[in-house]
Amino acid sequence: MSFEKVAFEKDSSRALKDKKLRKALVSVTDRFRAARERASAQVGDWNELRTRGREIKKETIENLDKYLIMLEESVKRAGGEVHWAGDAAEACETIIGIARDGEVSSVVKSKSMATEEIELNSAFERAGIKVVETDLGEYIIQLAGEHPSHIIAPAIHKTKDDISLLFSEKLGIPYYAEPEELTKAARERLRSEFLSAGMGVSGANFAVAETGTIVIVENEGNARLTTTVPKIHVALVGIEKLVPRYQDLSLFLTLLARSATGQKSSTYVSFTTGPKRDTDTDGPKEFHLVLLDNGRSAILSSEETRESLYCIRCGACLNNCPVYRQVGGHSYGWVYSGPIGAIINPQLMGIDKAPELPFASSLCGACRDVCPVKIDFPKVLLDLRKQVVDKKSGTNRVGWHLFEILGIKFWRIVVEHRSLYEAANKIAYYLQTPWKKGNGNLDSLPYPLSRWTNERDFPQIAKKPFHKRWIRIKRELGEGKNKT
Amino acid sequence: MSKRSREEILHRVRKGLATVKTPALVPPDSRDFSKEAKAVIKSLRNNQDNLVERFVTEAQNVNTSVMRAKDSKKLIQSILRLVKEKSLKSFALWDTAYIKELGIKERLKEEGLKVVTVKNKNRIAKADLGITEADYAIADTGTLVLLTDKDRPRGVSLLPPIHLAILRPENMVSNIRDLFILLKDRIDTSGDVKSCMTFITGPSRTADIELNLTLGVHGPKELYVIIS
Repeated sequence: MSFEKVAFEKDSSRALKDKKLRKALVSVTDRFRAARERASAQVGDWNELRTRGREIKKETIENLDKYLIMLEESVKRAGGEVHWAGDAAEACETIIGIARDGEVSSVVKSKSMATEEIELNSAFERAGIKVVETDLGEYIIQLAGEHPSHIIAPAIHKTKDDISLLFSEKLGIPYYAEPEELTKAARERLRSEFLSAGMGVSGANFAVAETGTIVIVENEGNARLTTTVPKIHVALVGIEKLVPRYQDLSLFLTLLARSATGQKSSTYVSFTTGPKRDTDTDGPKEFHLVLLDNGRSAILSSEETRESLYCIRCGACLNNCPVYRQVGGHSYGWVYSGPIGAIINPQLMGIDKAPELPFASSLCGACRDVCPVKIDFPKVLLDLRKQVVDKKSGTNRVGWHLFEILGIKFWRIVVEHRSLYEAANKIAYYLQTPWKKGNGNLDSLPYPLSRWTNERDFPQIAKKPFHKRWIRIKRELGEGKNKT
Repeated sequence: MSKRSREEILHRVRKGLATVKTPALVPPDSRDFSKEAKAVIKSLRNNQDNLVERFVTEAQNVNTSVMRAKDSKKLIQSILRLVKEKSLKSFALWDTAYIKELGIKERLKEEGLKVVTVKNKNRIAKADLGITEADYAIADTGTLVLLTDKDRPRGVSLLPPIHLAILRPENMVSNIRDLFILLKDRIDTSGDVKSCMTFITGPSRTADIELNLTLGVHGPKELYVIIS
């Protein structure tokens, strides 16, 4: 998955034809959007909280070396071990090494995008270690052999029917039609996995530099089980997930739950600091923090795109994105999807592997408006587009580039001069004749305009332009008003 | 391997940040949490009844069953009623001073329930009921805050299908901001961050199957709080 080039155009075209998927996408994103609206409106100073969140993230990222060392010291002080992994392969190797040292034969996992990123599950399987996803959505996805389609709701592309069939086939249970029964069947299966697993692997929503605390937010309780029941707990954490101070958590937890699912608080928030103490009756005997770079440090060097690392992975940008809402998560070709995927995948994978993604946006800015840390997505997207174009024009696109510049200069002259604009309008009106359709649209123009009309229609150019009709409309409206 | 990676990652981070002339710092640099904590406690005391009302509403909104008991006798009665209603046969519990003082363990044993040792996760998982005491509660969100410690294992609020938490009104805080002031003051004073703290807001839930809300997917299916 990670080594292929992202094929957004191809995959999104396929997604657009999947009626079932589009229905599911609209219903889940609508639900999350409405809930976020409600939950954020309840907080009087929501906008100030977002500003503050952004400031703290900016501080964290701009002092990242300092806070990483502080985090390392804090975790060690609490009795945990810290590992540093430069890339995906090293992270997998490290985690499998920990499992081997602990003579672990089966592993339970709670939901973590970072582990998806390094493809930890296949690494475990190659090493002959059993690994079970325990978040219900992720469990469904694992049984089906697929990849998550939404950060928060990984299995939204599957219907109840799909899941009932999948469970009866893979788990050898009767066909249960009710979500209640399916959930119960999964609980029983997974509970025995928890009690027999030698190691639990989690991600983290936040890691606190000051105290070495790992914070995990969830609704199901599987992350609590993962970090409590097995004798070893490994947390894989991207280096950008830090917050400096313990009390910063109150702000970020408020922002995260309300932005992600519109809950005032998630059902469970676990704050674990090191392994169990000698006086504790339960909890893991070993705690390992694996700090993952995997391309993150390279993002730091660009002033324009550095803020991509402020993200707290709430998924609000997905739910509010007019593109994501139509094409879903799989179109983005890698772990992260929606607007955050469009900016982070090209940067983590290398822009050559995902040159289409910065263009998978209308730049409407809905993502920026809901982002709890105010990431300026359009700004970052434009910068990435520039990088893609610069790379292209460096090769054999010089002629096209010149044509584009001249074209835009010409366009500018036309729109700045009224008489020219009106003349152009008139010419266009007659030029369109061969392609006119009875429905008032132009739906198949020749190349290069076909790039537009292949996917969407363009309205026909009217004989009498609006600014001429407006004079009459205004008069009629005025008369209407006088009568009443 | 890991040591070299550490140096390499830190080197790359520093190289990346070389263009940042003055790294941002969020003021204030240091705060007097003991003073802030005192102010929080004072305002909470004056407002306790309202906060309890608020907590009850918010907790009920997320499927928590809240009971109120005037005194310890009523509290025991509430527990016994729940035990009868649900035909519970066994329980695991936290051994806090307050729970001991209430004599819950003895009373439930008298009723014929089996007490389960908290030393063994498999046993806790088989208990019908887990009983704990909340260290704090957040009124704004209907959240219970549980700190792990000696005789206060994590599994009791997690593994049994029913969790019952006892909450004293004086442990109620208004919002998460106030809570973190108290927590930070506590850490500063004791020099100790507990190995685990858990926020619990309602019973375990999922909406992963076509967005249908289902309770009890991994943690307890039912959550009871007795305020006394």
